[in-house]
Amino acid sequence: MQMNDSQRIPASREKVWAALNDPEVLKQCIPGCQSLESSGPNEMTATVVFKVGPVKATFGGKVTLSDLDPPNSYRISGEGSGGVAGFAKGGASVRLESQSPDVTVLHYDVQAQIGGKLAQLGARLIDSTARKLAGEFFESFATVVGGPAEPAEQVSGGGKSWLKRLTGAT
Amino acid sequence: MNDMTPTRDQRAAALEGMGCKRKRVEDIRFTQGKGNYVDDVKLPGMLHGDFVRSPHPHARVKKIDDSEALKVPGVLAVITAETLKTVNLAWMPTLAGDVQMVLADGKVLFQNQEVAFVVATDRYAADDGINKVVVEYEPLPPLVDPFKSMDPDAPVLREDLAGKTAGAHGPRKHHNHIFEWTVGDRELTDAAFKKADVTIKEMISYHRTHPSPLETCQCVCSFDKIKGELTIWGTFQAPHVIRTVVSLIAKLPEQKIHVIAPDIGGGFGNKVGAYPGYICAAVASIVTGKPVKWVEDRIENLTATSFARDYHMTTEIAATRDGKVTGLRVHVLADHGAFDACADPSKWPAGFFNIVTGSYDFPTAHLAVDGVYTNKAPGGVAYRCSFRVTEAAYCIERAMDILAQKLGMDPAELRLKNFIKPEQFPYHSALGWEYDSGDYHTAMRKMMETTNYAALRKEQAEKRAAFKRGETREIMGLGVSFFTEIVGAGPSKNCDILGIAMFDSCEIRLHPTGTGIARMGTKSQGQGHETTWAQIIATEIGIPADNIQVEEGNTDTAPYGLGTYGSRSTPVAGAAIAMAARKIKAKAQMIAAYKLEVHEDDLEWDIDGFRVKGLPERFLSMKDICWAAYNSVPPGMEPGLEAVSYYDPPNMTYPFGAYLCVMDIDVDTGVYKVRRFYALDDCGTRINPMIIEGQVHGGLTEAFAIAMGQEIRYDEAGNVVTGSFMDFFMPTAVETPHWETDFTVTPSPHHPIGAKGVGESPNVGGVPAFSNAVNDAFSFLGSTHIQMPHDYWRNWKAAKELGAVA
Repeated sequence: MQMNDSQRIPASREKVWAALNDPEVLKQCIPGCQSLESSGPNEMTATVVFKVGPVKATFGGKVTLSDLDPPNSYRISGEGSGGVAGFAKGGASVRLESQSPDVTVLHYDVQAQIGGKLAQLGARLIDSTARKLAGEFFESFATVVGGPAEPAEQVSGGGKSWLKRLTGAT
Repeated sequence: MNDMTPTRDQRAAALEGMGCKRKRVEDIRFTQGKGNYVDDVKLPGMLHGDFVRSPHPHARVKKIDDSEALKVPGVLAVITAETLKTVNLAWMPTLAGDVQMVLADGKVLFQNQEVAFVVATDRYAADDGINKVVVEYEPLPPLVDPFKSMDPDAPVLREDLAGKTAGAHGPRKHHNHIFEWTVGDRELTDAAFKKADVTIKEMISYHRTHPSPLETCQCVCSFDKIKGELTIWGTFQAPHVIRTVVSLIAKLPEQKIHVIAPDIGGGFGNKVGAYPGYICAAVASIVTGKPVKWVEDRIENLTATSFARDYHMTTEIAATRDGKVTGLRVHVLADHGAFDACADPSKWPAGFFNIVTGSYDFPTAHLAVDGVYTNKAPGGVAYRCSFRVTEAAYCIERAMDILAQKLGMDPAELRLKNFIKPEQFPYHSALGWEYDSGDYHTAMRKMMETTNYAALRKEQAEKRAAFKRGETREIMGLGVSFFTEIVGAGPSKNCDILGIAMFDSCEIRLHPTGTGIARMGTKSQGQGHETTWAQIIATEIGIPADNIQVEEGNTDTAPYGLGTYGSRSTPVAGAAIAMAARKIKAKAQMIAAYKLEVHEDDLEWDIDGFRVKGLPERFLSMKDICWAAYNSVPPGMEPGLEAVSYYDPPNMTYPFGAYLCVMDIDVDTGVYKVRRFYALDDCGTRINPMIIEGQVHGGLTEAFAIAMGQEIRYDEAGNVVTGSFMDFFMPTAVETPHWETDFTVTPSPHHPIGAKGVGESPNVGGVPAFSNAVNDAFSFLGSTHIQMPHDYWRNWKAAKELGAVA
């Protein structure tokens, strides 16, 4: 599964960069995140409740930051196991582009792979779920970092559930 | 005689014997929810077991930690391979001569493989326990594509086979190779291809699918420590084989094992094999001293117990310019998954795939099959077909259409030109079978006349012209299929399972009041045996079918039999019934002669009793003979009226049929409509036409499912992505087309009642009919072969690739 998109955040690039490296901010923004703690330089352990279609599971795993180029870009990758529900691994390359002193555009390029029951039952829902989760993350991130002033500009798939998107209901 | 005396016709009708559309007696309980299935078995103190399964298709198992699981209220035990090693049961033999892990031993080789068995006081606690078992895996690269399995750098799947260059069926060429099986004359066939005017070559895939019975696989095991006896209730298509297998691998004396197969909610081949669930439930019962139940859920059934097909058949036909076939060459790459657990007779690693010459008179043929391991579930069962026969029928029927297209001939005409002729039977095929009987031309012509085939072709030509003019976006396909099956495994000379000859059996006991019970080595999973078996007896010995109780599935009371699969029940057990009945009839004749005070030779059989030749009023009914058998037998004769027959068939039977599917496909959406489906079956003597019709409806519906969408699909990472009915196509009444059925009757010359078997024919003949219809629809746009399954999306994709959709 791959996706790329970008998000406009009403804050300076330095502020966005600092937030991207702050476990507290990440914890607040990752959908379903129950804990996120620093476990070493550029390494965190996380517990996330993840739900795809009929499968819901608590994932425990490791989050690593690499290829750091402050305040321009890094790569965030993670690997987690949800026990009988399966496993997930993936990463995102994140690049910050300063549009003005108070506005930063965050570009992201995500690759993810899932396995186990999640993949069996949720295969057809993975794309839409991943887009929805990414949307939720960056929406919260923009709010936490830049305040609730502006609505998200580009959140593909966000807002509507997969069912509503399939049926076209609003 | 007065007016109330029934006529001969009335007497015959009262028996409800062969040929009668007798209503299914078992349906009284099935339609009222009164069936008794394995999950209805509830014993005092019964425990429940369920599996921890691997999320990975290929990984090393580093550690299994059950400490938290054992703290879950209700969880009593967690069984792992280490536990099973103490009783030497971590691995079990497969029917195909391989071995299979019962629980992951160091490695997992397919997604959802059984890793640990959690035993608890109820199913909920077992599930909670499963969530608390922590398994540490080290993922290994998965091997998903069978075509890459024998690459030099392909991952080693079966470390247990390291260094073993000989498999159960000859040498192994590679660490992921299982067997190579060849039949036919290679030189003669190569020569035929060199001389041929026309040849075709196509890789025809028959995708992996699953029998998916509505009732999943399940069992209850109860070990009595005092008596040392193990009782197993299970969804078994072959209860006696299970008893013998359990005895051999668990080292329990066979007389101390009681196997009971109660009502079964569909099998279709899925319930032939022995699964880890059975072994684990038995071990858990022995360990805990309590009965243990194991019931698969839907995902487990689809992803872990036996799949079907997964044959990739590179097929070549040589022919003359005017359309006479001169040679057939087939190479099959067979994906067997992680363990070779195919349920075939022992000597047949690719089943009876050498029926691939089909209904045609091929002077020469050569076949090679390579079986390979991949990181997929084991299996390879005959899903509503005899062993690999539906793969063979699909292969040849698709290839004949491809040849017709290349020659510019009508596919029906090409078939008529190459059929084995009636006078050639018994016919020896180039790949070694002796076809018992057939009249293919008559069946084909009847199909063509009834459906007005010529008019349909004309309509198709007009529609194609209209399509090209841009007047319609719909294309029309005619799917012709003419199949020959090989069923009724089988003669002891070439068929056995674990060394046991594939006979079958029947024991009939008649009671003093003119009723009786028949016990069988077969086991119905919905086929209607309780109805049809009684009909054979009714006709053979003149006792009304309603007065015959049929009992199957209890190994303590039933005579040993090899079970029900591969359309073998009627060809083998049906014959055993007739032979047992004839033994009874012979004794009855002696009793009648004694009672009527004549010589046996002076008696003649008359529907429901014996009559003195020339003296019609001197008659003794079977009912009266039954009473006499317990009351006044001739001096020196033992009382009673019972017989048992173990029937070893002299040959297989060869049912055949002519099918036509008329389909319309909208190229812009890929949506297809089955406008008409006509199925003519020749299964020899017809025992119950209504049951035959029902079997044909069911088999066609499964064929429709398989051809048009049903698939077990793996993604590149080895995940099963069709593991539930959300993604695995299971047609309901909404999707299922209307079926037209028809028949001809060409009895089997070697079967006591001439019957051949029918339950699987519609699946064997149906799949090529659907696929040929789709392929025929697209052929005028330039395609030669489109792989199954033909769901809407793939149809649309085909249209797009052929340039019919912008």
